[in-house]
Amino acid sequence: MAKSSDDRVELLQGTLDMLILKTLLFGPAHGHGIAKHIQQTTRDVLTVEHGSLYPALHRLEKKGAVAAKWDKPPDGNREFKFYRLTAAGRKQLLAQQSKWDELVRAIGRVMQPATEG
Amino acid sequence: MWRRLFGGARRSRDAEIERELRDHLDLEAEEIAARGGTDSPALEARRRFGNRTLVLESVRGVWRWSWLEQLGQDVRHGLRGLRRSPVYAIAATITLALGIGATTAVFSLTDPVLRRPFPLLPQERLVSIGQRSADCPACEDVSPAAFLALRVGAPSMAAVAATSSWRTALRGAEGSELVEGFLVSANLFSAVSAPFALGRGFATGEDEASAEPVTVLSYDFWQSRFGGSRGVLDSAITLSGKAQRVVGVLAKDVVFPTRADVYAPLVTRPSDAQNYGSRYLYVFGRLADGATIADARRDADRVSHSLAQASPKTEEGWRLVARPVAAFHTEDVALLVEIVAVAVALVLLAACVSVANLALARTAARGRELALRAALGGRRTRLVRHLLVEAFLVSLAGGALGAVLAVWGVSVMRDVVPPSLGAFVPGWAFVHVDGRALLFTLVVSVATTLVFALLPTLRATRVNLSSVLSDGGRASAGVSGTRLRACLVVTEVSVALVLLTGAALLARSVHNMMNGDPGVRLDHVLSMHLSVPRTVPDSAARDFMVRLDERLMAQPGIRGAGLTTTTPLSNTRWGTAFDVPGRTPLPGDRRLSATDQRVTPGYFRAMGIHVVAGRGIEARDDASAPRVVVISHHTAEHFWPGREAVGRTVLIDSLPWTIVGVVTDVRHGGFDEPLFDELYRSLPQAMSRTMDLEVWADGDPDAMRDVVRRTIGLANPAAAIGGVMTMRDLEARHVSAFKLMAGLVGVFAAITMVIAVVGLYGVIAYGVAQRTREIGVRIALGARGRDILSQVAGGAIRLTCMGILLGGAGAFAFAQLLRSILYGVTASDPRIPLAVAAALLGVAIAAALIPAWRAARVNPAVALRD
Repeated sequence: MAKSSDDRVELLQGTLDMLILKTLLFGPAHGHGIAKHIQQTTRDVLTVEHGSLYPALHRLEKKGAVAAKWDKPPDGNREFKFYRLTAAGRKQLLAQQSKWDELVRAIGRVMQPATEG
Repeated sequence: MWRRLFGGARRSRDAEIERELRDHLDLEAEEIAARGGTDSPALEARRRFGNRTLVLESVRGVWRWSWLEQLGQDVRHGLRGLRRSPVYAIAATITLALGIGATTAVFSLTDPVLRRPFPLLPQERLVSIGQRSADCPACEDVSPAAFLALRVGAPSMAAVAATSSWRTALRGAEGSELVEGFLVSANLFSAVSAPFALGRGFATGEDEASAEPVTVLSYDFWQSRFGGSRGVLDSAITLSGKAQRVVGVLAKDVVFPTRADVYAPLVTRPSDAQNYGSRYLYVFGRLADGATIADARRDADRVSHSLAQASPKTEEGWRLVARPVAAFHTEDVALLVEIVAVAVALVLLAACVSVANLALARTAARGRELALRAALGGRRTRLVRHLLVEAFLVSLAGGALGAVLAVWGVSVMRDVVPPSLGAFVPGWAFVHVDGRALLFTLVVSVATTLVFALLPTLRATRVNLSSVLSDGGRASAGVSGTRLRACLVVTEVSVALVLLTGAALLARSVHNMMNGDPGVRLDHVLSMHLSVPRTVPDSAARDFMVRLDERLMAQPGIRGAGLTTTTPLSNTRWGTAFDVPGRTPLPGDRRLSATDQRVTPGYFRAMGIHVVAGRGIEARDDASAPRVVVISHHTAEHFWPGREAVGRTVLIDSLPWTIVGVVTDVRHGGFDEPLFDELYRSLPQAMSRTMDLEVWADGDPDAMRDVVRRTIGLANPAAAIGGVMTMRDLEARHVSAFKLMAGLVGVFAAITMVIAVVGLYGVIAYGVAQRTREIGVRIALGARGRDILSQVAGGAIRLTCMGILLGGAGAFAFAQLLRSILYGVTASDPRIPLAVAAALLGVAIAAALIPAWRAARVNPAVALRD
């Protein structure tokens, strides 16, 4: 079950794009699969709002970071819209990831004394 | 094709998005079902998903290819919103239409009259040069010597041309008729690049005395007299008894420098180079390539300087002044137009403030809707844009309706000003709502949107969501919102006070003018120009003129008739220098001057001028009799206060003239001019061939036209008449521009007053509606209806008084602008502003009483239960 709403963390602006790209690094997926993957890997800490997931996916598609194709999953016979990472998407992911690491380090430096104390 | 292509692409994409979201829901439902624990997995999936429509909409938003589509959506929403509150839409549209319409109408008036009076000519390259002095600060006329000096001494101008007004007798099949024209230097038409419908302008050399007499016709004259026949070219017409060949017809609507029937070359003689003293030419120049008006001014100054050296006596105090040609003949109307422009700007301001007020009330009422939209994820920029688009729709509607109002208003204005006056204002013929005016309307509409809508919009989108929603929308206006609306109402009241004060002062002036006594009979008098050509010998001309009074009076329906040099109120006046023997000379060698009227014996009676001492001009005062003069009462009091003037002498042209009578005063320049000294002489003793004839009729003076024409034709076929008008027409021409201006300011003042009162009513009524619960509590606690009434009305009075105090300063400033044109009332007279303020307060209280009364009757039980 999902955690109660107080324990959830809202995504920072722009991080959703990064998470989507990272998820797609492991192979093509449809929207529902991406949402599930993010939710499961974060152990329900991050709940992807559908209100932002689909617009974000389509924004990425429009930008060319992902490509979309209607396809059947290996275990089914119904077509879903599958997204996969493009070369441009890969590049964007790398750039965003290094920026993200930097940000985490920076915040960590500020927060460190407080958590130690 | 385009539409189908893109529309199709969009439709298939929309379907795809929908399918994708449906898939998502299905997968979610499957998952929930697999986990178990709920009866309706599909419903649970929908619940988790949230607002599906919103998601759909924002995904679509990603693919939306332009803001134009969003704009279209905003426009549709805006129209829907306006349809839902028709009272706001209609009130705002009408208010803006009044403001924009008034502004457009005034623009249509001022643009051609003040800025572009000659749209068919290269007017931005043309300059008008006048000779002015401290005594004659608005004079346009230039001496021949100055004109010739400018021709050679002003390199900044590629051409310098002159015109001189010319009244000439056109001989026709049924006698002669006086027509209006200009004598022009041969280069005038080429200098101003006048287009021709037929033929050509004058050629170099055609303005020499020995050249063949030629003439150019105006388009209207060609149409009315020659039926627009091309055969008129090279035919001869007889003007002032001389055959002149027609060489050209000006193109339609070419008016230069003012309306005219015919043009002939202005003959320059060598002696003109020495003619410094008599100034009668209008001079125009075309700027040379690369030259500016500043260069022309410098040249004019230099030529003035050299003229002063050549003839210090005549040129002292005079200088040549170059101005853009648009300033020609408009300086006397410029102030009137400026007043109207200020007034209309105030109307537009009041309209914008009023609509801003309406918009504030509306957005306050819509607070919940806006808050809800913000809560559902509407971005602020989007909300702002939405509200601005809606406001812009209102502005456009107001602008469209305003354009219709302007077309109507301009046609009314054109009707108010008689054509005889319009003819003297270049550009008047072009006063109509044209493309420029409509463009101006559009610009004003956009600008008003920004003025009236931005403030309410920014306020509305800044609302605190939770407080609005939890409050049930009641406090959404908030205290500061009400205060802002009160400020706007105070502004409206102060603008109304300014315009009402101005309108009251002007109305008083018009009243005084209409009831002023010019000293001559205005009813039942027909006035016209009469001229006897040089082909008639002097003695015959004299005999014809002195006998005309009796011939006309012998006709049935005519009670009196007489000739004079210039008709009172006709905007022209002949002056003469004179002297009174034994008088101490004026400083600086200046001579006395007086209005010089040469009259026939019937004139005083026909015009209702009474003899107050001695006698009038009589038939015995003929050419061989002793020289006599009749003076006005003002002149007698001026030189011989309290003493007998009859029997004394005055010197005119160094000859003694005996005063035989004193008559009542005449205000030649109309009601608003001071009296001048005036001398009347007997026509045979001071002969003139160009006169004005006044005919006093029993009934309608216009009905006498034919009788008069026939009588004159029988007496002397060579005599020509023209410019036939009743004295009432002349009076109308004299005051119509002023009346038009006063009328416009009056209408504008009325509009702003209505706007202010409605605005006040709105704020008070809204305040009462907002505070119904509070009032109910107070009544329940024992407040009497009277207390509530006086409190609400007191609020209205307080707002009005603030507006009046604020507007007082503006009213004073506006009155100062009007000062020089007021008649019989002074700008600083405190009675009028006080009366206006009292009236405004009265109307405001009346408007506030309705909501106040309603407040006093609030039923506490009902108010508290709501």
